[in-house]
Amino acid sequence: MPEDTKISPVDALPEASREYGAIGEVSDDPRWGMAVDTERCIGCWSCAVICKSENDVPLGMWWNRILTKGEALDTPETSESGGLDMSWVPLACQHCDDPPCMKVCPTSATFVDAEHGYLVEVNQDDCIGRRYCMAACPYGVRVFNWGEPEYAVDGFDLGMVEGRPIGSVEKCTMCIHRLEEGQVPSCVWSCPAQARIFGDLNDSDGELVRTIEDRGATQLLEEKGTKPKVYYLEERRRRSL
Amino acid sequence: MSAVATTARAAERRSWGPAWYGLLVGGMIVGLGCFVYQWVNGLAVTGLSNTISWGMYIITFMFLVGISAGGLIVAAGAELVGSERFSSLQRLAVLLSGAAILAAAISIMPDLGRPQMVWRMLRQPHWTSPLIWDVIIIGVYLTIAAVDLYILTRPNPRPGALRTMAFFALPAAVLVHSITAWIFGLLVARPFWNTALMAPMFVSSALVSGLGLLIVTAHVVDRTTEWEPDRNVFDDLGRLMVWFIAVDGFLLFAEILTTYASRVPDHLKQLNVLLTGRLAPVFWAEVVIGVVVPFAICASRLRKRRGWVVAAGALAMVGVFAKRINIVMTSMFMPLVGLEPGIPGGRPGQEFAPDPIYIPTWVEAGILLGLACFIGLVVTLGVRYLVVPERRPAG
Repeated sequence: MPEDTKISPVDALPEASREYGAIGEVSDDPRWGMAVDTERCIGCWSCAVICKSENDVPLGMWWNRILTKGEALDTPETSESGGLDMSWVPLACQHCDDPPCMKVCPTSATFVDAEHGYLVEVNQDDCIGRRYCMAACPYGVRVFNWGEPEYAVDGFDLGMVEGRPIGSVEKCTMCIHRLEEGQVPSCVWSCPAQARIFGDLNDSDGELVRTIEDRGATQLLEEKGTKPKVYYLEERRRRSL
Repeated sequence: MSAVATTARAAERRSWGPAWYGLLVGGMIVGLGCFVYQWVNGLAVTGLSNTISWGMYIITFMFLVGISAGGLIVAAGAELVGSERFSSLQRLAVLLSGAAILAAAISIMPDLGRPQMVWRMLRQPHWTSPLIWDVIIIGVYLTIAAVDLYILTRPNPRPGALRTMAFFALPAAVLVHSITAWIFGLLVARPFWNTALMAPMFVSSALVSGLGLLIVTAHVVDRTTEWEPDRNVFDDLGRLMVWFIAVDGFLLFAEILTTYASRVPDHLKQLNVLLTGRLAPVFWAEVVIGVVVPFAICASRLRKRRGWVVAAGALAMVGVFAKRINIVMTSMFMPLVGLEPGIPGGRPGQEFAPDPIYIPTWVEAGILLGLACFIGLVVTLGVRYLVVPERRPAG
């Protein structure tokens, strides 16, 4: 599909949807972050799928995926009371404030973008494809273009961003192209359970910061000292099937 | 050596020479072909995936940096302690170091997804990356090897020049292995690598494998050319090997014991892959072939027989190669966030690979073959034009 026939998903949206996806109030120096409510998450993979189409993520890779706690993908945990539990850990780039991937990149292709809310971004032009960042990331969220990127239907790229070249590393950008239009990332917008809260970590009055404080949110592998900007809200009660 | 024997050997060389060069050049062409094929089609032609994203290329790189140790350290060490014993080996030792480190630098190329962009490492180096430190120290090390070789092959070497160089060569040698170790050891994401012992272990196994290479090559060169090392030098090298293996084995034991006894879950899980899991055969091969057997040979009276010392050197190299495999693979098998369905493999049909395996492909084998032939060619030419003339009578 030629580039010029693409319509920005933001433009295509009805006014009400655009309002729903608007970022809202932010501080003078926004530091984008997210909270994922594992109590609300129903493990439906909607956010993972819309991420794939939004960002033209090629076949065989995901920027955002839903990990299942328990013995296996379809085998629930046994709860303390003997019932069955299911819970999920939606996982994408944690956009660390102290990112190990950025530190090891020999060309600064991975960098902390101070102009875009201190997100961790990759400039594929500078990527030499050594994959050191992939070894350095404790979360395993970086994926590599092993071959020429392929899509489910040839030429049917829905993505709103440029494709990445063969031999380069890519990962979640926090939908930086949407943020520029004042819209939240598509995984946040699309979540049917409203399990994701996006916002400005520097805005101490904002919903994100208040929720993180109220719920005592945790960070993944906090002990590694990477200071993720993605927080997880623990379940206050366990669902049983 | 009698004139008849020399002539016979020369005749033999003449008959085998073209075949040997043909083999090496042929192997290099195969390797280059595989590299171009991989460049065009991407690293998809390797056995790697997003979970096991580093494989044989990195393992080979680590190994080559390691075997470059023997030469410069033996040559420089001999110079610093004023040892006459090893002086007959100096040229060969430095040649091997140079060839190995040159090959190590080249072996980075096939591991790159975009080799055409490698110059950006120089245009915009990111100084916090251990890879940049490694590029610099490998450059320094290669330069030192070249200067050493130049000094050694001049008709009348200035006395003391090599000794001055040794003051740079030894710290550079320690650094080149340490920095290569820190590429791995400084990563918080990989508990098994993230140990302060990483650099000392790299230096020690580099010494073992480097000395192994020196022993094996010295034997082969002695048998195939008129170059002759000191008669007792193999016994001396074997004696040195005892100490190198002892230190290397001790560090390995200290690392394993600490991990085993402290029982940190993530770390222990990776250790179990080595001790009893999928990599157990390679790990125990590393211990038996790389430590126990060569140590037993070199520490016993078998050392007096050259064949045994050469066998010990070869085994030590194999053992250290196994160790490199273990170091890289153990961490790669075990992502920290190990929940199902794991990390997406990265290619169509490989959505997820929760229990990934890595089998190198023929492309990787071909490229490594080319690299081995390149080292063979550099060493052969170096021996012929730089090492052997040393022993020729003047005029």
